[in-house]
Order: sequence, then structure tokens, then C-alpha cells
Amino acid sequence: MRAVNVLSYSFSAIKLRKFRSALTILGVAIGITAIVALLSVTQGLQATITDDLNQGLSANSLIVMPGSSGQGGDSGFSIGIGSSSDSSGFSLYNNYTSQIVSLSPNITGAVAVMQKFGYVESDSLNRSVTIYGVDYATYAEIYGTFVAESGTIPLNPKNDTVIIGSRVSDPRQNGTRFIVPGDEINLLWLNATSFPTVNENCTVQVSGVLDTVGGFGMGGPSDTGVYIPLSSAESFFGTDACDMIIVTLTNTDKATIDSVSSLIREHFENQVLVISADAVQSVVASIISTIELFLGGIAAISLLVAGVSIMNIMIVSLIERTREIGILKALGMKSRTVLLIFLGEAVIIGLIGSIIGIIGGWVLAHGVSWVLSSGLLTGNSGGFAIKPLLTPTVVFVALIFGIGVTVVFALYPAWSASKLKPVDALRHE
Amino acid sequence: MTAIIEAVDLRKTYMMGKVPVEALRGVSFRVNAGDFIAILGPSGSGKSTLLNLIGALDKPTSGVMRIDGVNVSKLNDARLSVLRLKIGFVFQSFNLIPRLSAKANVELAMSIADMDASRCSRRAVKLLTIVGLKERMGHKPAELSGGQQQRVAIARALANNPKFLLLDEPTGNVDSKTANEIMALIYKLNKENGVSIIMVTHDQKLAGLAKRTINMFDGKIQSDVVN
Ligand SMILES: Nc1ncnc2c1ncn2[C@@H]1O[C@H](COP(=O)(O)OP(=O)(O)OP(=O)(O)O)[C@@H](O)[C@H]1O
Ligand SMILES: [Mg+2]
Repeated sequence: MRAVNVLSYSFSAIKLRKFRSALTILGVAIGITAIVALLSVTQGLQATITDDLNQGLSANSLIVMPGSSGQGGDSGFSIGIGSSSDSSGFSLYNNYTSQIVSLSPNITGAVAVMQKFGYVESDSLNRSVTIYGVDYATYAEIYGTFVAESGTIPLNPKNDTVIIGSRVSDPRQNGTRFIVPGDEINLLWLNATSFPTVNENCTVQVSGVLDTVGGFGMGGPSDTGVYIPLSSAESFFGTDACDMIIVTLTNTDKATIDSVSSLIREHFENQVLVISADAVQSVVASIISTIELFLGGIAAISLLVAGVSIMNIMIVSLIERTREIGILKALGMKSRTVLLIFLGEAVIIGLIGSIIGIIGGWVLAHGVSWVLSSGLLTGNSGGFAIKPLLTPTVVFVALIFGIGVTVVFALYPAWSASKLKPVDALRHE
Repeated sequence: MTAIIEAVDLRKTYMMGKVPVEALRGVSFRVNAGDFIAILGPSGSGKSTLLNLIGALDKPTSGVMRIDGVNVSKLNDARLSVLRLKIGFVFQSFNLIPRLSAKANVELAMSIADMDASRCSRRAVKLLTIVGLKERMGHKPAELSGGQQQRVAIARALANNPKFLLLDEPTGNVDSKTANEIMALIYKLNKENGVSIIMVTHDQKLAGLAKRTINMFDGKIQSDVVN
């Protein structure tokens, strides 16, 4: 029997049992919806994070932080904010930048960053921020995102100058500015180096507000950061040890990154961590793929449930159609063709279910990302925008899974149908 | 003349749980091309069992069933299918596929034999016209009378130009007028088209139309006479 005829025969059987077929298709569609929504959200998440990391830590820069790298690997890292020395007492100092630059011709610049968690207080706003001490001129050279959207970033700032991130000025990101250039604000931070710890504060004057950066700001400009001159930070925080030194390189190839990284580690006798954008991304990617695997497993179980119900329905349909199978075989149909007819039904159901599921998953993914970005869940202004990604791979995986599961679960019923003896099948009422 | 069917000491034993039921107990006969045979016998005498063996729908427990010189017991599943394509079988209970129209039922038999769609369609129309169902081709079995369904079944059995036609009580479920029409059709097929026919019936009068009558009793051939 020709393939077209096999398929059209399968299709006529599906049409006959519309309601039951619809339920089976629904089962497949739900499973595929879950898988597609999940994959496209996590892939979107990965793309967003990768994007954000590229904003915060460009591919041609390294972050040097105090800390020992354990077995000497550069994949494990921790980011200790506000602790300018590690447990061994080693500190990075602001004036180490020139030593670092002279280590290799591949290094184009180095900038020290001091940071502390703190608060901003003004007449209208009180919120937590990260206070950074940086040299405005060199910092702006490294990060193209360190530009003022309003006000200015002075090259020779006064001691009480401050530049603020866009979310500090406009926390809801809706155009309502609580702090504008020219305002006086109060910065507060906790001095953990003295005992007992004390809250310290100072009054500074806003000179500029940064353009919205987005992203996480790994060392780079952040929307929730406030930036004071490095010299002010030294005197406010009472130390000239920095939290990180950002090193820029001539190029982004792995060989350069690796050789410069080990030069820096050796120079500081393995008392520093050197983090590259690459390493961060691979850690993030591995975290995301773990999440993906876990959620994917749950989605796969739902598909498995659909598979079992397909098997159940196929067995019922087989029993109902025993006589029909007897007729087909008596007319000279080969066992293989009977098998193909039943598998054909499964393929059609799997295909329709998968297509519905892919569309459903796409819609669901957009729903989820809308809920996330609207901040309904977190309850505050800070939504997290993910753009779901429906890659050809996701579509392909969904189709393979949807059709694969239905076919696998239809195999046994289809096989037993094909093995029926015509006389026995014809006697069946 | 060469035999198209040759049965040698056929035996068929069914197991009803642990109890063996001997449906056929040593049946031998030959059928030549162009024959028209009526098989008579009381209920349970093994007529349908024998017809199933001739139709290659089942294999004997022992003995040899040769169709066109080929021992059916020796054929594998795929070869049996090919053999069945060449046998026209009309069942006691019609056995049409309910969701398909009369025409589609006839076409199905041909598409199983790999005939292309347009030829299937043309031949189905021709066959249904021969059996007098030209006006009813689009109807589903449930929308047809018993006699009409029987005629669709005959058209389907003829679809692949079978070597011979097997009919299991073709007039068992219809009134006497329709029975006469069907018998006239079968008679014509044998006489004019040269189709060999083996027909199981209870009706002594219809059996009189056949060239030869086989009487079955208790799993054996009691008599085999040329009319
Ligand atoms: N599949 C089977 N399993 C068990 N016993 C069977 C089976 N098929 C037939 N038999 C038995 O074999 C015997 C012959 O049956 P068969 O159907 O050949 O009779 P028949 O002559 O066609 O009768 P009828 O005129 O009623 O159709 C009967 O006793 C029947 O009960
Ligand atoms: Mg019978």
C-alpha cells in the first residue's frame, strides 16, 4: 500500500473518533507547551544575562580581586563586596594599577574600584545603593556606558561630587525623577573595619545622572550605583585598599586573556582572583543549564503522562477495531502496513499536538516574561525583562519529542494489531 | 486440467480451553479453473472452517492446502498477504468497513494491492455498476440494505481480478428476491467471466445452480457430486 494511502487511511480513523483524538492531541500539546515555554524562557534568560554581562564586563577586560583561587583554577570565584582584603590579610591598593599595566604590553589600562553597600538619603527618597569610588576619567575610558544622560561628569571633580545611576534618580524608571543634578544627597555606609561598627555618612552634590545601563554591572557602571571620586572614597572609607582593579586588554582572544591572567596571578603570588567575562559566562551558562535540566525533567514527565494516555487510547481503539484489522488482513494487507497505519495515526496526533504545543508554549513564554517584567511577582519597581527566544532548535526539539513520544507509546499497540491473525480478528464482535 | 485448489487430508483442531474440537477431520478434494462448487452441510459441520483454509486466512492443523500449486502452510506472513490479494472472499456478515463509502470500500481492496488512485476509482465505479449499485456508490454500509451490502462485498471481492471467489452463505441474510438477484449475479460471473466459485450455502435450491455439490457432515466430506 502506498504511503499516501496509508496516511489518508490513518487520518480517516482519527477523524472518526474526533473527541477522543482531540483529547489525545491536547495531552501532547500540554507537554510540548511546557517544554517550549520552558526552553524559550531559559534561552531568553541566558541571552539576557549574557547581554547584561557583556554590558557590565566587556570581553576585553579582566577583574582582579583579592582572594586566592584555591586549586589555581579560574572558574571558581566569589565576589566579596565591601571586603577589601581577604582572610590572609592581602590587600589590593589603588596605586597597584601602574604595576599591573607594566606587566604586559597586552594591557592597555587599569582602573581601581572601591565599593561599599550604603544608602542614599534625600528629601524625597531613601534607598539602598552601591557606593563606588572610581577615577571618573579612566573609568569613562574603559566603560562607554559611563556617560551622563543629564548633568555632567567632570574630569576634575570636587571632593563632594557624585554621579548617580539612572535607577537612583528614577527608581520606577517611569520618568519621575526623585534626584536631579544639583541636588544635595546624604550617603550612608557601614564602617565594618572599626569596632564596634559605626554608621558613617557624608553630604555630596549630584553632578550627573547616568544613562540607563541595564544589566548587572560586574565592576562596570550600574543603574543602582552612586559614583564618588576615588580620592573622596579613600578619605570617606578611611583606606586606600580597593575592592577590584579592572584591567583592559588589547584584544579578546583566549590566549591573551589566559596569559595576562596568569601573569597577574603570579605577580601577586596567587593572592588574587582574576575573572574574565568568559569565565563568568561559563559559570552562568552552567547554572542556567542545570535549571533547564531540572525544569525540563518536569516538562518531560508531563509528556510521559501524555504518552501513557496515548497508549491507553491506542489499545482501546485497537480492541474496537479488531474486526477492521481482520478485514484489512483478509483483503491482503501486510502486517507491516497495519503497523504503519497505527503508527501513522500516532504521527498525525503527535504532529498536530506538537504544533499546537509550540504555539501554546510561545504564548505562555511571553505571558511568563510579561509577568516577570511587570514586577507583579517581586512587588517592586524592579522588573526583570526576559525576551523569550524561540530558536529553530527549540522548535525541532519540540517536534522530535512530541512525535517521538507518541510513536514510542503507540509502538506496542500497533505491533500487537499487526500480529493479529485474520480469522481470529474477524470472529471478534 | 490443472487444479487451482488442491486439498489433501485437511485436519483442523481448535482448542476450547483444554478440550480439542475437531472441525475438519480429513478433507480432500480438487478444484479446477472455471468450477462452480456449492458446499452444503448442517451447522457446525466445518464449512466456514474449510472456506477459511481455502482463502488462506488460516492454516490447517495437518494436511496440505495447495493454492495454485503452493503449499499455504509453508508461506510466511508477507507471502500470505500477497496470496490473499488474489482471492476474492465474501463473508457471511459482509465485513465492510463502516466509516467508508461503498466506493471507498471497493477502492481500499485495490489500494492495498498498490493500484494507483485513478485506476482504483474507475474500476470501483465499473464493479459497482456491474453489481447494480451505481446509484448508491457514495453511501456508507449503514445506509445500505443487507442485499446491497452483500453486493458491495462481492464488488470488493472482485476488485483485484481474483483467481476464484469464495462466498460464505451469500444469501443467508437477505430475502428471497434479493437472494435470487445475487445468485443470478454469481451465476453470470461464473458463466460469462469464467470466475471460479466456491460457495457455502444452506439452500438446496441455490446449490442446484452450481456445477458440483459437496456435502459436509461432522468435519468430513460426505458426498462430492457433479450436477
Ligand atoms: N475459532 C474457533 N475456536 C473453537 N472452535 C471453533 C472455532 N471455529 C469453529 N469452531 C468449531 O468448529 C466447528 C465447525 O465450525 P464452522 O464454523 O466451520 O461450522 P459451519 O459449518 O460453518 O457452521 P455454520 O453453518 O453454522 O456456519 C464448530 O463445532 C465450531 O464450534
Ligand atoms: Mg459458517
